[in-house]
Amino acid sequence: MTASATETAAGTGAAPARGSRSRGIRIFKWTLLTPLFSLFFFLMPVFLLQLYFSLHSWTIYLSSWWDADYAGFDLFREVLTESRFYWAFARSFLFAGLSTVGCFIIGFGLALLMYRPFRGHSVFYVLFILPMLTVPIVISYTADMLLFRSGPINDIMSFLAGTEIRFTWLANPNFAIFTIIMLEIWNWTPFAFIIMLAGLSSLPAEPVEAARILGASRLRIFWEIQIPLLRPVIFLALILRFLEAMAEFPKTWGLLQGGPGTSTETIPVYLYIVTWRAFNVSKGAAASYLVMLLMIVIILSAIYVLRREKKALDALYEKPAGGGEA
Amino acid sequence: MNRRTKRRIAAAFRFGFLGASLFAVGFPIYWMIITSFKPDNEWFTWPPIYWSENWTLDNYRVVWLGIQARITAQEAFTMQKPLQALKHSLALALISTTLSVAFGTLIAYGVSRYRILSDRRMFNLLMLRMIPPIVVAAPLTLYYSALNLLDTLTGLVIVYVITTIPYTVWMTKSFIDEIPHEMEQAAEILGASRWQTIWEVIFPLIRSGVVATFLFILILTWSEYLLALILSKVDVVTLPVQLSKYEGTTEGRVYGYQAALAVGVTLPLIVIGCFIRKHLVRGFTFGMVKR
Repeated sequence: MTASATETAAGTGAAPARGSRSRGIRIFKWTLLTPLFSLFFFLMPVFLLQLYFSLHSWTIYLSSWWDADYAGFDLFREVLTESRFYWAFARSFLFAGLSTVGCFIIGFGLALLMYRPFRGHSVFYVLFILPMLTVPIVISYTADMLLFRSGPINDIMSFLAGTEIRFTWLANPNFAIFTIIMLEIWNWTPFAFIIMLAGLSSLPAEPVEAARILGASRLRIFWEIQIPLLRPVIFLALILRFLEAMAEFPKTWGLLQGGPGTSTETIPVYLYIVTWRAFNVSKGAAASYLVMLLMIVIILSAIYVLRREKKALDALYEKPAGGGEA
Repeated sequence: MNRRTKRRIAAAFRFGFLGASLFAVGFPIYWMIITSFKPDNEWFTWPPIYWSENWTLDNYRVVWLGIQARITAQEAFTMQKPLQALKHSLALALISTTLSVAFGTLIAYGVSRYRILSDRRMFNLLMLRMIPPIVVAAPLTLYYSALNLLDTLTGLVIVYVITTIPYTVWMTKSFIDEIPHEMEQAAEILGASRWQTIWEVIFPLIRSGVVATFLFILILTWSEYLLALILSKVDVVTLPVQLSKYEGTTEGRVYGYQAALAVGVTLPLIVIGCFIRKHLVRGFTFGMVKR
């Protein structure tokens, strides 16, 4: 809006050169976009190759991939009739859902305890963001050191319980997925924490103050004033976390490689195993296509919500809040 | 009295929760650090050793300098050329981050001032980040091998730039949006060209924001694992991939070595992250939430 105002203002100043000016702007705009577009078009053939492989039967053991046999939709049928594929989906949703909720609850709790300044505030803040700064693959190897059967976590639990506990965190097929979910929560709670902390500290102070004067209880202020005002921030945190968790690979792969059995095989791990362990490139491509389509649907709906909430957020930041300015 | 006990309970709860979280955050990091200084006979003991009496730097010597360890079974691990991984990781992170920030800042400027991408397109740009890279990994490998880009820095730089550009565009745009337009109008009236305006008027104003973006993207590229694992083999090895090589087939995991490497990989990120802690929110939320 303001940009167009600038253009017309400057345009009237230099009336004769108007045509060359707008052409100059067009060239300028395209210059800015060229690097992105050229990279994007450079990578475009990848998607076509993907389609080719999902329709032609090829594994890495065959030579020249360009004369692989046409298989029609057989590969898609093969993937869709495989229960392993659906299980991977179910696990991915379980993993992403539970870890998102876990991160959010703990992160929000910490943010609620921390948003009013107290002594040592910044020390706590720095310490709490450390897990987010740790390299994911490092987390998976450190978790292995901590959680193996004679590891320190079992020792600490034994100490607390008074008897010797040798819990199998990793080799137990029924529990391993929850171990990985805990890792994800450990890793990304700071994400929810910093977002909710920023949200809480940018809230306008007046409504809360007014409600308190009118005699509303803490709980009521929380549910009826703070939560509705925080809605865009909450949505943002949940959506972004969920999408990242759906794509999570280093921790799930680094710790257990989908095992024991297939009990921690999420979608990315499944795709990795089919393509790089079984070397079944075509089947992997077909499965990837299905995953990609589903992810695009999920992402588009996520983006729809994000756009709506972004507007609400911008409105929140535009009205300078009384006590909210940092 | 009643009120006071209530308040005390609240305070106890508050510090209990904070303390528990602090332990949950701190202990794994403590364990990683302490393991990196333990000699190899203390890695697997029961009960575990919380404070080693026999501190050693051997693990660091092996993983960072490639000096032969005493144990012959682990000789294979010392052949991994660790310093080369450091060099590659550093080069890769710096080059791809620089390019991503340079391209991203220019696009962000165009969007902020000339609307070169509509609101809808800006949101669709996020797709580049949100689609899991694993879904195109297989054809990408074959495409790269056809172009001789497999196992090269260039190949990795290309995918890193394209997957981080949504972050740079959104983050720098949020900084540029905060700058009033009057500066550029003044510059234009004084006869500055568009590039001159960007370089001499806008850039100095957003410099700290660009530095924050740069460091934020550096964190992302430095810790990237999946694409590096798939698109590199022998010639290019990044530190996260190198880390997964200290996993023997016969002698199990080599905790001390992994920990020594892990400390070195993580430390720079912690320093950088604390340095830009005020901007992390902006980074992770694509500039939508400010502090």
